[in-house]
Amino acid sequence: MLFNSLRFLIFFPIVTTAFFLLPCRWRWLLLLSASCFFYMAFIPVYILILAFIIVADYVAGIAIERAQGPRRTHYLWLGLAANIGVLFIFKYFNFFNENMDALARLIHWNYPLGALNIILPLGLSFQTFKAMSYTFEVYYGRIAAERHLGIYALYVMFYPQLIAGPIERPYDLLPQLHAEQQVDWGRIGRGLQLMLWGFFQKIVIADRLSAMVDQVYNHPGTYTGLPVLLATYAFAFQIYCDFSGYSDIAIGAGQVMGFNLMANFDRPYFSQSISEFWRRWHISLSSWFRDYLFQPITFLKRNWGNWGVTCALTITFLATGLWHGANWTYVIWGGIHGMCIVLGLWLTDVRRAAVAALKLNHFPSLLRLLNVFITFHIVCFSWIFFRADSLQDAFTLIRCLPGGWAAPLGTPPWHWIFYLGLTRWDVLISVAALLILLGAHLDQGPGSLRQRLSAQPVWLRWPLYYAGIATVISFSTITRKTFVYFQF
Amino acid sequence: MISERLQKVILRKLKLDKFDFKNETLASQVPGWDSLTHISVIVEIEKTFNVRFKMQEILRLKNLGELQKLIDARASSRLE
Repeated sequence: MLFNSLRFLIFFPIVTTAFFLLPCRWRWLLLLSASCFFYMAFIPVYILILAFIIVADYVAGIAIERAQGPRRTHYLWLGLAANIGVLFIFKYFNFFNENMDALARLIHWNYPLGALNIILPLGLSFQTFKAMSYTFEVYYGRIAAERHLGIYALYVMFYPQLIAGPIERPYDLLPQLHAEQQVDWGRIGRGLQLMLWGFFQKIVIADRLSAMVDQVYNHPGTYTGLPVLLATYAFAFQIYCDFSGYSDIAIGAGQVMGFNLMANFDRPYFSQSISEFWRRWHISLSSWFRDYLFQPITFLKRNWGNWGVTCALTITFLATGLWHGANWTYVIWGGIHGMCIVLGLWLTDVRRAAVAALKLNHFPSLLRLLNVFITFHIVCFSWIFFRADSLQDAFTLIRCLPGGWAAPLGTPPWHWIFYLGLTRWDVLISVAALLILLGAHLDQGPGSLRQRLSAQPVWLRWPLYYAGIATVISFSTITRKTFVYFQF
Repeated sequence: MISERLQKVILRKLKLDKFDFKNETLASQVPGWDSLTHISVIVEIEKTFNVRFKMQEILRLKNLGELQKLIDARASSRLE
């Protein structure tokens, strides 16, 4: 079920109302049933895959807790193997097969395995990573194994996070699933606000910008210069608004029912370095990789100094890329980010010396602005690989980037914006919406508009909320698009 | 309470002049202590206190107070 569908607009109030009307001891059952219904709106039989993952990690958790010595590690590996095995079969087998086949042809070997004709279950990477997070935490002894199978199943399947995260941690979510949630109108209001903001990002900005991005990225080699640049900038905001929008709807929906879900984004395009970008972008995934892959590798290779960290960064970012999809484009995308962080690690002193030599440290605001500008453009460059359908397409687009910038019919170059699948009205709304987004990102903390709005009386607040809803509906795009991160 | 020796190691490794360390202080609250520098701080502590931590011991730590307790526990077990 899509968040931006009529079905969800009916599903959500019914489930929320029933949640608060039911006695506490039955609420988990309602949410679990609702989550199954939510998931089965796609391919019903795939619920069996989730059932397998849930049972495997539930059993592994209890086994790890009961075991002593090396058996704990064996059970950890068994639990992880169940998740990674499912992920490999459904997501990576054909990719692995294609590459093996290409390699076999190169060495004239008759490779016997054919491709599997299966559809990737939606959000499988999110669900398996959430389940693995639980197994790791039990292994590290930071949480006790969950004995209530229903609550554990709900932890993996909690419908707001089921398809595209945030990849919640068990020590945050499991206690909340056991707790008794009360009706709190203030919190419900804040949750609905966040959901509205998420819808604004998704259906007003992301879906609109996607037309421009598709026009250029689906026809690599057709456009040169400015259109490629504009489409790449547009994609940077499309992917952000699409995913951040989804996360806000998910977090808001959880908040309405009384659950505090982890933040997934923190204004990532204001980052001053790539490592900072990863502390602000898809936080639930980057912290997953940090906690369960990067840190263990750095620990095991701690005698290698910076080389150990380099090794851990390389593996972590290639894995992060591969997590997004079985395509070399994602691996390169992850590799670019990893390489930049590695360079940052080794060149810290050189960078400090360059800043001092250029006397940029006397102008901290300018330095900050410069860092943000450079980081944003590195991220945009990497988005070319992320969005392109193949490596060949990505390289074609990069080759076309410095090409001629002249717009059709002898108009000034900036007129290109009107030739890329957007009407003048769309361009106007996109620019206005992006300015609102920028304003919201700058207006944070105490005294922000959101906080001041929350302090207003009900008779003023609710009409404003309705006006917000009407605005989002009025300025939304006609076609409904799925969320980009659903495919992962 | 965080010992002066531990405070000095952290300050030296992170190139800080001073910081108000408390038991509840999280690594992420100390300037410069992030996932990239974390392991170098741990290695420096191992060298200074002549201890060798297990991965699970480090991954389980929640704050500096727990790190101090871990170091103290190691030191006392060595004395025994």
